[in-house]
Amino acid sequence: MSQPSLVTEGLTIRFGGHVAVNNVSCTFNPGELTVIVGPNGAGKTTYFNLISGQLPASEGRVFLKGNDDISGLAPSARARRGIGRAFQLTNLFPALSVLENIRLAVQARSGHGWRFFSAVTKFKTLTDEAQHYLEATKLADKAHMTAASLPHGDQRKLEVALLMAMEPDIYMFDEPTAGMSLDHTPDVLDLIGKLKEDKTKTILLVEHKMSVVRALADRIIVLHNGELLADGAPDEVMQSQIVRDVYLGSSGEDAA
Amino acid sequence: MTHSSPRGALFIKSVVLLIGALLLFAPFLFQETRSLEVAARICIFVVLVASYDLLIGYTGIVSFAHTMFFGFGAYGAAIALKQMGPGWDAVLVGVLAGLAVSIVVAIAIGLLSLRVKAIFFAMITLAAASVVLVLASQLSDLTGGEDGITYKAPQVFKTANKLMVDDAGKVARVFGVKLNGKLAAYYFVFTSCLVLFILCLRMVASPLGTVLKAIRENEARAEAIGYRVVAYRTFVFCIAAVAASLAGSIYAIWLKYTGPDTALSFTIMIDILLMVVIGGMGTMYGAVIGAVLLVLAQYYLRDLMGAASDALHGIPLLPELFEPDRWLLWLGIIFILLVYFFPKGIAGTIWDKGARS
Repeated sequence: MSQPSLVTEGLTIRFGGHVAVNNVSCTFNPGELTVIVGPNGAGKTTYFNLISGQLPASEGRVFLKGNDDISGLAPSARARRGIGRAFQLTNLFPALSVLENIRLAVQARSGHGWRFFSAVTKFKTLTDEAQHYLEATKLADKAHMTAASLPHGDQRKLEVALLMAMEPDIYMFDEPTAGMSLDHTPDVLDLIGKLKEDKTKTILLVEHKMSVVRALADRIIVLHNGELLADGAPDEVMQSQIVRDVYLGSSGEDAA
Repeated sequence: MTHSSPRGALFIKSVVLLIGALLLFAPFLFQETRSLEVAARICIFVVLVASYDLLIGYTGIVSFAHTMFFGFGAYGAAIALKQMGPGWDAVLVGVLAGLAVSIVVAIAIGLLSLRVKAIFFAMITLAAASVVLVLASQLSDLTGGEDGITYKAPQVFKTANKLMVDDAGKVARVFGVKLNGKLAAYYFVFTSCLVLFILCLRMVASPLGTVLKAIRENEARAEAIGYRVVAYRTFVFCIAAVAASLAGSIYAIWLKYTGPDTALSFTIMIDILLMVVIGGMGTMYGAVIGAVLLVLAQYYLRDLMGAASDALHGIPLLPELFEPDRWLLWLGIIFILLVYFFPKGIAGTIWDKGARS
């Protein structure tokens, strides 16, 4: 087996007396899509924030590609090292056009962000690459609309496009289908499914919809009260008694 | 709702180009001393407002220290010209000293406080600006205190200097305009300000400009896709400080006087804020429109009202209403109306209107 792409080692964060993520050690591999499940307040998003750097860990470390310690780095530095993070609530550059949104992500990776004399339109490769991702996500015909004016479903697609344009090694999606009607979810899920075809990428996905989990997951980890409760193949995890007790809760039935 | 906006943009750009042409030919078009003062002041304020727009309009940084940097540049040039005598060496030393102080202070404020929330940052800049204002009036040996400093500009810019002489040995005239040092000084102001404004324009259209807009729109997301937000904000804060400082030096050379009222007072800061709001934040061209309108109003509204008051003589109430001393009241009313009818500033609103039609 190749070396892991992402390792969290004893990752912990405390807010006052409350331990939101408690000693989570986990290893993620290239070509693997891991779904993170858990009830509300289990610490899924907080765990994401610790990996991508939005929150500083109280204890523990994060490693990329086996031994590259990124624990103390700012989110921007982690992004440049290959962590692409999408957010639970739509989190775009609202007044900028769809094309500009994507071009910003391409430009961040290209290192042209400090060029201040030539017009951005002179950097044709940036626009061409951005165009490529717009076509891949079927947003090309909306390239000149502002992100804010897109329908909700397209905004979620733009989130995915933004991540793709960063060309990260590790994709982190936090409920990419949240707030979408069922007939629109397949678009975003198809996009994520396509990302799986590239076996060098690692995908982490927080998701509630069981249909999504079943369709995409190679592996499921369960967080509960900030602790790692279960980790394994989807069938195995879904059937374990402990998961049924905490995750499916008192209702006792499949959320899908 | 598209971004490409042919008609509105074309209109604004034509207006700005027209203003540029009027400023270019100002000494020939408006042949009085006062109008040349007005034209020079407009040029200076275009740079001040454009560089301030980089902060407030493009990056979303609220700073009250813009006049402080303006003052560093002005006092740098003024003190050097006073101490070293009128020469280009003094100008160079003064400009560089002003720039050095501006950059050091901008980096210090930037790194120490751009991490904090916007409101705290604004308060810190306000505090810094107040300290500098007090310092300028206290260190009177160096700055001349409240009285300021008068000094001579380099030889070329002296009004008595003849750039060209006619056969009789008198100063030559073109279209009735004396080719003297005053004219040279005006074109020095105009050219330097034009270069600085074009640099600001280029910057907002560059890759860096797109990053600044991204930070304004969504700071956390800009950081998450790989932009070091603190570094970019500090950098643009320094760039704006450099532009303001240069504008200050240019103004000091033009006025041959520098004091708290012309270079450091909060009135100037308020003028900049009014101009950027009237012109339109985040438009860059708005800087030109805002500066022109406000400077013209400050210089000519009184005259205009005096004329109106006289014309309405004999009609009850109206002459009193247009009494020249009430010009600030009318300026306030005009400002409120402008903000009401042009919520995104004149340039911003017309730009968008063109996009929709």
